[in-house]
Amino acid sequence: MNKKIVSGLAIAAAATLAFGVVATAPANAAAKKTVTLAFQGPLTGGDAQLGQDQIPGAIYAIALYNAKNPAVKVELIKADSQCDGTVAANIAPGVAANKAVIGVVGTSCSGEARNSFPAYRAAGLTMIAPSASAVSLTDPKAPDRGFPIFHRVVAHDGFQAPALARYAAKGVTAPKYYVIDDMTTYGGPLAKGTLATAKKLGTVVGTDSVAKGTADYTSVASKVKASGANVVIYGGYTTDAAKLFKALRDGGYTGILASGDGTNTSDFPGLAGKAAEGVRLTAADVPFDKILTAAQLAEFTKITGVKVPGLYSTTAFNATNIFLDCISQGKLTRPAIQLCVNSGSFKGVGGDVIKFNRYGDIIGGAPVGGYLVKNGVIIYDAVA
Amino acid sequence: MWPLPFGGVATLHNTLDLNRSVDMNFSVVTSQFWSLVLQGLALGLIYALVSLGYTMVYGVLRLINFANSEVFMFGTFATLYIEVHFLGYGINAPSLHGFKLVYTLAFALLASMLACAILAIIVELVAYRRLRARGANRLASLISAIGVSIFLLEGMRIITISRPMTTPRLLDKWSFGEFHGANFRIDTVMTIIAPIVIFVVLDQFVNRSRLGKSIRAVSMSEENSKLMGININRVITLTFCIGGLTTGAAAFLYTTVYENTIFNVGFNMGIAAFTAAVLGGIGNLRGAFYGGIALGLLEQFASAMLGSQWKAVTVFTVLVAVLLFKPNGLFGEAVQQTRT
Repeated sequence: MNKKIVSGLAIAAAATLAFGVVATAPANAAAKKTVTLAFQGPLTGGDAQLGQDQIPGAIYAIALYNAKNPAVKVELIKADSQCDGTVAANIAPGVAANKAVIGVVGTSCSGEARNSFPAYRAAGLTMIAPSASAVSLTDPKAPDRGFPIFHRVVAHDGFQAPALARYAAKGVTAPKYYVIDDMTTYGGPLAKGTLATAKKLGTVVGTDSVAKGTADYTSVASKVKASGANVVIYGGYTTDAAKLFKALRDGGYTGILASGDGTNTSDFPGLAGKAAEGVRLTAADVPFDKILTAAQLAEFTKITGVKVPGLYSTTAFNATNIFLDCISQGKLTRPAIQLCVNSGSFKGVGGDVIKFNRYGDIIGGAPVGGYLVKNGVIIYDAVA
Repeated sequence: MWPLPFGGVATLHNTLDLNRSVDMNFSVVTSQFWSLVLQGLALGLIYALVSLGYTMVYGVLRLINFANSEVFMFGTFATLYIEVHFLGYGINAPSLHGFKLVYTLAFALLASMLACAILAIIVELVAYRRLRARGANRLASLISAIGVSIFLLEGMRIITISRPMTTPRLLDKWSFGEFHGANFRIDTVMTIIAPIVIFVVLDQFVNRSRLGKSIRAVSMSEENSKLMGININRVITLTFCIGGLTTGAAAFLYTTVYENTIFNVGFNMGIAAFTAAVLGGIGNLRGAFYGGIALGLLEQFASAMLGSQWKAVTVFTVLVAVLLFKPNGLFGEAVQQTRT
């Protein structure tokens, strides 16, 4: 699609959001007091699934809240920034200008978050993101940090590494780790991040860095086997993980294989074949359907029309509930919401305590999910 | 901390990993020597087959056939297509045994070689012949070959939606046994024997047959060959065809050993094979062969001793060092001898 048309549409959409909702809000307010939350993320475009998976979590949370017939009703509006920073930069001012909006559940992507900060910061509009996981967004030293309006209920990329080291060695009494990375900006830091935890839990018997796209992993396999390692952690993506794990199994390695969310994709088991069986994977998400009871799940389906909750439904639900908690405490203005979110202590749906640090991350880190490959399918196992 | 030109932010800490040291491990060489030699040979001989595709064309045209890497890529997909779609072995198909195994692998090998040979001939027709007939600047064919290469690469990217693909394990990886820690697995042994056979046949063909003689003649002097009544276009097509055949064999071996492919699989392979060709002395058959083996061994030993991150650094340091003392590559002089 033409870029001009896209940004034109985006501006039009933003304008509709701003003026459309402003126009209707007073009418509702007359009947009963109503405030608005915005969900911002990709709802159309190539990455639409990400946002479409998350928004039911928000819809469900608000429906549960409104069903209790509170003094203040909550509405949800959608802001579609397509996982695209440029679109977000056009949309965010519109959302910020809509006076009825007192909080943003979003964004899904880190680029969207970054480009929304200027508008929301100026308007004092609080954000709680379900899945924007770039470390810099909450890094006090990064110029693109979202302080003081940005928060997130997802474990950022730096939290995953220790969880991966823990989960990889789960059930192993004296883990001997061999840590391999693919020399990318994702795999390198992830693999390096596991080392501290690995040294605490056991010993690191070797490390190696093999460039992404390497065809032949036999020499790594020989080294791993010679080292006597029983836990291999790989920081990298699906394709190379499949090649490495195959080479390791073919080379006679029988210990545990583990990798992070770069490998946690549905095509991994097919690519790695038999070598995929039992591979341990992590992702910064705990599936919603594993947390909800059967009755709750049926209710979720009835309200949202979604049978199986998608990725990051849990975090979207938690993010929305934090706003709802504050609203039920009578915080109905943007500054009041901001203060409430910054200083309050909330409960996640899994029973976890959510309290934000100064820069917007959950103190102690959000839970990371551990997954297993079983019979060629990736299944959720436990909190890593 | 400073902004990067493309919008990100870098800190000194994550840009330069100052803590990374060279972790020399020489004990590996003694404990895994034969294992590394075996794996190095297997990898190196795949390189050697692909580098024949570069070196044959260079020999007659004095041009690098940049599309050869994509010919390799095409061969891996041809193997995959034959096994998965034509013969109908799904991803979870059980391994084959006995005659059926031999027949299936031989069929896939021939299909891959044929597909690559045809593609290489098309590349020659499209990217080289017409330009040559019109007397275009030699560099024009270099660019047109790169163009064909990008066309093939991007075409395959679109067809496969950038997805990696995998082949079924038709060849069960059983082992003949171990020798001082070197595991003689069937696929490793096959990857060593097949290229040697192909190379010996090719070497005999070029040195003994009439067509081989005409290839050598064109390689020495195009003008004089023309005067002797040699059909230059036919010889050039033949060399592309031979390059395609060996590259196709390499693609089959690669797919059988590593069981996967992706649209850009040719890039790294192309670089490696081209390096092998230059290391051995480009334009020289034996140079490509030994260059491939040298590169395979070098990569395995560098990965084992210094860590895989130093593999490329070591390879190119050695390449530069070799070229400093032998500017025509390890077997460069032999080329000169055959030419004059």
